[in-house]
Amino acid sequence: MFLTASNFFLVWIPVLIRRTMDEVEALGTEFSNEYDSIVTVLFSSDAGNILAFNSILLIGTVALYGLLLFATRQTIIISSRKIEFDIRNQIMDKLMELPQRYFANNSTGEIYIRTTEDVARVREYFGPVFMYTVNTVTRAGFIITMMIIVNPELTFWALLPLPFLSAFAYWVSGFINKYQLIIQEQYSRIAGKAQETFSSIRLIKAFNRTGYEQKRFEIESDEYRKKKLKLDLVESLFHPTLNLLIGASVLIVIWKGGIMVIDGLITIGNIAEFVIYVAYLTWPVASLGYTVNTLQKSLASWERIDNMLSEHIDILDDETLQYEKPHKVIGDIEFRNVSFKYPGSDEYAVKNISLKIEAGSNVAIVGRTGAGKTTLVNLIPRLFDPTEGEILIDGKNIKEWNLKHLRQSIGYVPQETFLFSTTVKENIAFGVDGASMTKIEKAAEIAQVLDNILDFEKKFETLVGERGITLSGGQKQRTAIARAVIKNPEFIILDDSLSAVDTKTEDAIMHHLREQLNNKTTIMISHRISTVKNADTIFYLHGGSLVETGTHNELIKREGRYANMYSKQLIEQELDQI
Amino acid sequence: MSKKNNYEAADSVLIRRLYYFFEPYKWWALFAIVLTLAAAFLGTVRPKLTQIAVDDYIAFRDVDGLLWIVFLLGLALIGEFLILMLNTYITRWFGQGVLYSLRNAVFEKIQSLHVRFFDKNPIGRLITRTTSDIEALSELLSDGIVNMIGDLFRIIFILYFMLMMSWELTIISILVLPFLFYATFWFKSKVRIAYLDVRDQVARLNSFAQENISGMAIVQLFNREEKQKEKFEGINADHRNAHIKTIFYFSIFWPLVEVLASFAMALVVWYGGARALMGGVTFGVLLAFIQYVRQFFNPIRGLSEKYNTLQSALASSERIFDVLDTPNEVGEAEKPVDLAYVDGKIEFDHVFFQYNEDEELVINDVSFTANPGELLAIVGATGAGKTTIINLLMRFYDINRGQILLDGVDIRDLSLHTLRSSFGLVLQDNALFSGTVHDNITLGNTDITRQQVIEAAKEVEAHQFISKLPGGYDFRLRERGASLSMGQRQLICFVRAMVYDPKILILDEATSSVDSETEELVSKACERMMKGRTAIVIAHRLSTIRGADRILVMHKGKIRETGSHQELIGKDDGIYRKLYELQYKEQDVGATPIA
Repeated sequence: MFLTASNFFLVWIPVLIRRTMDEVEALGTEFSNEYDSIVTVLFSSDAGNILAFNSILLIGTVALYGLLLFATRQTIIISSRKIEFDIRNQIMDKLMELPQRYFANNSTGEIYIRTTEDVARVREYFGPVFMYTVNTVTRAGFIITMMIIVNPELTFWALLPLPFLSAFAYWVSGFINKYQLIIQEQYSRIAGKAQETFSSIRLIKAFNRTGYEQKRFEIESDEYRKKKLKLDLVESLFHPTLNLLIGASVLIVIWKGGIMVIDGLITIGNIAEFVIYVAYLTWPVASLGYTVNTLQKSLASWERIDNMLSEHIDILDDETLQYEKPHKVIGDIEFRNVSFKYPGSDEYAVKNISLKIEAGSNVAIVGRTGAGKTTLVNLIPRLFDPTEGEILIDGKNIKEWNLKHLRQSIGYVPQETFLFSTTVKENIAFGVDGASMTKIEKAAEIAQVLDNILDFEKKFETLVGERGITLSGGQKQRTAIARAVIKNPEFIILDDSLSAVDTKTEDAIMHHLREQLNNKTTIMISHRISTVKNADTIFYLHGGSLVETGTHNELIKREGRYANMYSKQLIEQELDQI
Repeated sequence: MSKKNNYEAADSVLIRRLYYFFEPYKWWALFAIVLTLAAAFLGTVRPKLTQIAVDDYIAFRDVDGLLWIVFLLGLALIGEFLILMLNTYITRWFGQGVLYSLRNAVFEKIQSLHVRFFDKNPIGRLITRTTSDIEALSELLSDGIVNMIGDLFRIIFILYFMLMMSWELTIISILVLPFLFYATFWFKSKVRIAYLDVRDQVARLNSFAQENISGMAIVQLFNREEKQKEKFEGINADHRNAHIKTIFYFSIFWPLVEVLASFAMALVVWYGGARALMGGVTFGVLLAFIQYVRQFFNPIRGLSEKYNTLQSALASSERIFDVLDTPNEVGEAEKPVDLAYVDGKIEFDHVFFQYNEDEELVINDVSFTANPGELLAIVGATGAGKTTIINLLMRFYDINRGQILLDGVDIRDLSLHTLRSSFGLVLQDNALFSGTVHDNITLGNTDITRQQVIEAAKEVEAHQFISKLPGGYDFRLRERGASLSMGQRQLICFVRAMVYDPKILILDEATSSVDSETEELVSKACERMMKGRTAIVIAHRLSTIRGADRILVMHKGKIRETGSHQELIGKDDGIYRKLYELQYKEQDVGATPIA
């Protein structure tokens, strides 16, 4: 709307200029050399009045045009930002609901691009693309109408080069898009080469191969330069060609128009008018080609976003469960013939596991790396659902539990400690609403991280992560434990969460945990015998299967894998003490 | 104030250093500037020609003259087109040339630096230096400078032509310039601040998205979906608002520029119209001025944009030169000694070493000697300092105290080439590249013939399995050699060490378990390789070193036990014996059938 109106006013600028020039020409024949001072002409003659009137009209028109252009940008571009805002919120909402299966199937980088680049591209569709399209259509419509009114023949001549301009811009921006991908690829190749060399620098130095690596790098580097130059060639064509086609338009106007003036068909003012028209038309016409290409990219991005938004959510409460009131959890867990395969994998990560964990007991899961320990505990809070078999809590299949309620009752400390880049306080209080400072401190104390936090200059307000301080591995793990403890959960799952903590602190944490979480079920994964040997039951996993079950003493007597692992650690301990 | 001066001084140093890379192209750059001059002239002469067409020919109804001028105009137009094209291409061409040599120089420098540099700088950062930091200079080097000069020329030419036609109108039409300057200045400063905010918001948004996508499991486990959504909406809204703020400035600035340009035009028409009445100014002049006023605005805008490019390019070049200026800690000796023949005697004489100053000593007073032809094994628990011994021997790091001697010469006095080519090194991580088996063995050394490769492969009995690969020695490995088994990868690394027929063999055994079949192959290969060579083996599998002449048992940076296998195993409470038991357990675990 604003855009149409602003273009409407734009059209009048050349008209006014022409009118002025024509009137001056007419006046000129009447009183030439009559005045001796420019000031008199300007301010105290009829001619001066006419000029001033026209100029003021001109300035008024320009001002209106500018104002409307301002309004256009303010409305269209701002609404495109608002649309972007909405889409991005929708994506994040969806991501929060998607099951872990989705995150296992798609790389973090890929998903990240959906929320950033793809959204930005879609915005371009609603913003610049839309604006330019409307602009081109209305501006061209008005100007061409105006031109035809003045002189159809000259219009035809003046517009002759413009379609080429549009086609050329389309071709160039298409080529640039395509070539940028190729260049991007070569760019990654250079980065890849650097990565390969820098990461095996010892080998390269040891074999005196730096010269050779240099040569290989230079080949890729040269390839990049060549590809870039090809793009440069097209880009170096772009502006000059644009210039040439516009210039050609002006030239034709002067040529054909000049002859028409000589023939008395039009005035010199008309020529000036046409020259300005052509200038006004250039950018919209050139942008047409760019617009078409951007449109294509926007649509491709939108398709990817749409795919993600329509992704099926399989771990979700049905309607009856959604409003279920939380009830008391006793804490019995039972696995019945549970097997699990990761999406896209042929092998079972967990094979036919049946086990019972009694409420209030303290169990440990041990086994080598890759034995399926983490996978097993991930099934309890339904990060994944078992491929076969079922898991019951208090005798009820966990799929029949309200999901929020189920997760609320579990205090989970993952293997890879993940903290958010906010304050320590917010990280600990992550899982509870409006936790009091006393509660936070208590949780920190149980996790044996309170002293560390109080040693920081800003105490609980210390920022964690890139912009803040870097916590040590052990501090991170203990903060994560505090985060789980503060929820006052019914179950606590520790997935190798004490690996970076020394044995003494570990004992203290375990002691506090048992004391605080009395009668709560504790499941822990650990590699340390000292950690697991007091557990009520120890499960030894191997290759996804449960191979040994029992107390420490029972398993030692069996002289199986567990016993072997135990004696190995004993020797290591002895060695360490030498 | 003095700080600012410092910055400026630093900037000029940076520019001078950049010029060093620019030097080979200076004549091309000069040529480009001449072309720019020509293009600026041809571009700005056209309105002047229209003036002539109108005043001298159309006004006198001279069709032939008009055609002549149109022809001239066409010539100027095509001339400008060709020159502009050529010029853009040339500047891009040498710009890319400068980037190319700069990139290679950075790569070469990083590669030559000491290993500690790689410990301290994450590889990602080093890649950034060789790629995106160089890219950031691209805009400046490819068209920045030349375009700036071109813009200046354009302004000068336009002024010249305008003054030639009418000084009064010139003054009238540049009356709006102060406003334009002021508007541009205002816009730049506002937008810069607004953009800083946008950048912060974009960073916040991105890091929130990134963090929550990676930590989605935590969000879901802690039932924080709603809370995080709310938080995200807040950040997203800040992001939107920051953008909207910049939109405001943009939507004021661009229309304002248009309005100013049109205003200048109105002034020209008004004043020029009156002048025309008095006969001083012709219609052609008016027409030319209308065109000039529009032309005038572009270079001014261009110039102010280029200034920003310059700023960000300087920031990048500072980082690049930082790398180029890093001193090499492990450098070549002043008068490096080249040994014509290496016997292979290695001595460690009271060597002390720590990786970082504030850390514990990793090598604490270590002395030993390996005589030519001897097999010396080093064993110890993880972290005992075994691999460090190799790192020191190869001069990946220089020692703090003591001496390491090769054939009686301090390795710091030897040329790095002599030193490193005396060793056949097999590293722990079986480093293989994507490329053919042959290339992985020769590491691109074309002096090594296929025959030599095959002989070396036969010596370690790798020939058989390599021949069975599709394409044999030309079989292309995937990254890190992923298509081969661990044992096969190790054998290829053996061949790589053997093909140079080194006097000293250094073996850092792979820790990961190898299946028993290849294990046998690997052990046999080891035995053959060690024949007639000094060998230092860091052993993780104690079975490989039963035949060692001497075994050094390292523990916490010190040599704690020395002797043959039989002697060491006999010590009841010895470290070696414990290590041996530990290993025995390890194998046992692997062998127990699944219950």
